[in-house]
Amino acid sequence: MRARGSFLSISAILAVASPCARADGPYVSVSESVTWQDNMTNAPAGDGIRSAFGVESGATMTWLHSVDFSTMLTSGVAIDASACPSYGGLDSLSVGPAVELRHKLGLGALAPVLYAGLSGCATGYLDPERSNLEGDLVFGLSKRLREDVQVVLDGRLGSYDAKDIVFSGNFASLGTTLNWDVNDTWRIKLTAGWRSGDTVANYAAVQSSYGWVSPDPITMYLPGAWHYVGTFHEPYVAWRESARTWSYGAGISPALGRHTSVAFQFVHFESDSYGRYTDNVASVSLVHHF
Amino acid sequence: MRAMHRAAAIILLATAAVGAHAAGTVRVVTKDPAGLPVADAVAYVYSLDAPAAVHPPAEPVEIAQRDQEFEPYVTPIVVGTRVVFPNKDNVQHHVYSVSPAKKFEIPLYIGDSTATIVFDHPGPVTLGCNIHDWMVAYVFVLDTPFFAKTGAGGTADISNLPPGRYRLEVWHPRLAGKVGRELTVLEAGDTTQVVSVTLRPDRRVRRAPETGGVDYK
Repeated sequence: MRARGSFLSISAILAVASPCARADGPYVSVSESVTWQDNMTNAPAGDGIRSAFGVESGATMTWLHSVDFSTMLTSGVAIDASACPSYGGLDSLSVGPAVELRHKLGLGALAPVLYAGLSGCATGYLDPERSNLEGDLVFGLSKRLREDVQVVLDGRLGSYDAKDIVFSGNFASLGTTLNWDVNDTWRIKLTAGWRSGDTVANYAAVQSSYGWVSPDPITMYLPGAWHYVGTFHEPYVAWRESARTWSYGAGISPALGRHTSVAFQFVHFESDSYGRYTDNVASVSLVHHF
Repeated sequence: MRAMHRAAAIILLATAAVGAHAAGTVRVVTKDPAGLPVADAVAYVYSLDAPAAVHPPAEPVEIAQRDQEFEPYVTPIVVGTRVVFPNKDNVQHHVYSVSPAKKFEIPLYIGDSTATIVFDHPGPVTLGCNIHDWMVAYVFVLDTPFFAKTGAGGTADISNLPPGRYRLEVWHPRLAGKVGRELTVLEAGDTTQVVSVTLRPDRRVRRAPETGGVDYK
């Protein structure tokens, strides 16, 4: 917890310090997205799968500071408000700083870019036990194969401390994105990812002499922390599991002028833990840069 | 303005050599297959009788950066012309070229850069900004004084041509190959010629912002 706090503090100091230095900005962007998740409980089949819509609004304020001719320090703050109409306990508000160092290996649009950074956020949920502090280390490589084709390799090490230990955890993830700009308006996006770390699986619960437990016998042997939750308007138990997740996605993103774009995206997740579960996420999002 | 056609386009050049005593004008009209005008094509002629000397302008030519774009998109100049790159934005730019005809960079500046770049070799030069990858513009350096750029109407007039034989060529950032033919400027009379050329697909870095991904926990 102390390490994560330091993580966030360093990020916050740098994010605040950058505007004081000679920097370009602030660049302000706003985003809005609607998401459909078909297994938001991360439950194996038959153990309480619940689907729901979510709505998320966000804004970021970013400064760019030139370290040298090829290196740029990006810093900023982000705020996000998220609402889940079906399960109000998942409504949340988060705010946090981020800093990122980007180094371009050469001149021109085709030169590869290496980046690494820190980001953190404090998130408050209406279900207070889910509220957490998160700190992430991000790193990656971006390379345009030609002007209209870009590959991004992205890595992340994250840690989050929630009010209840069930909702705390660590993870590592790797992802790749291929963007193909068919023309000035239309972008096709393909994604693939891998994640290993803690997740929270929610199982429908029955009351027993041991208290609230899952009706699935396998859950009796889960070693992780668990907690009764009322988030889903029915008895559920939430388990913190260690899982490996693979994801595959595709999307299209039309540009609405120079400063605005929309994205329609679908991502399929397959997680392998003590139980196997899948999750399909479809989203429509809009981002505008001022 | 950025053309949206991915398919090959055809520019039809209708040239009319208008005889006018000691000096004539060649009018070049560029059109795509749909009959729409093609802007930002550079039409130029070389004298086949006696090479014409080029004299760079006394004042430097200006290529500005405004709203994180270069203005103008295409700039034809003669060899030896000095060019300045004032930054009219409130963000820094890093102007560069890696083109064989002129390699240079003006690292990270805001406002009026003190750098003046002399373009001393003929040929096309692609400009970019190393911060904003979508920014692109072209300088076409010529060793002939007779040239003009097509405007929004697709028309360019190459004027002050002494009577004689010339080779007409056209350049465009997306031109697939060289286009040229000989023509004669007469002291009186008109000449009309039609030349077709192929344009490559327009591939550029998209400027519109990237939307976020899907997070998972």
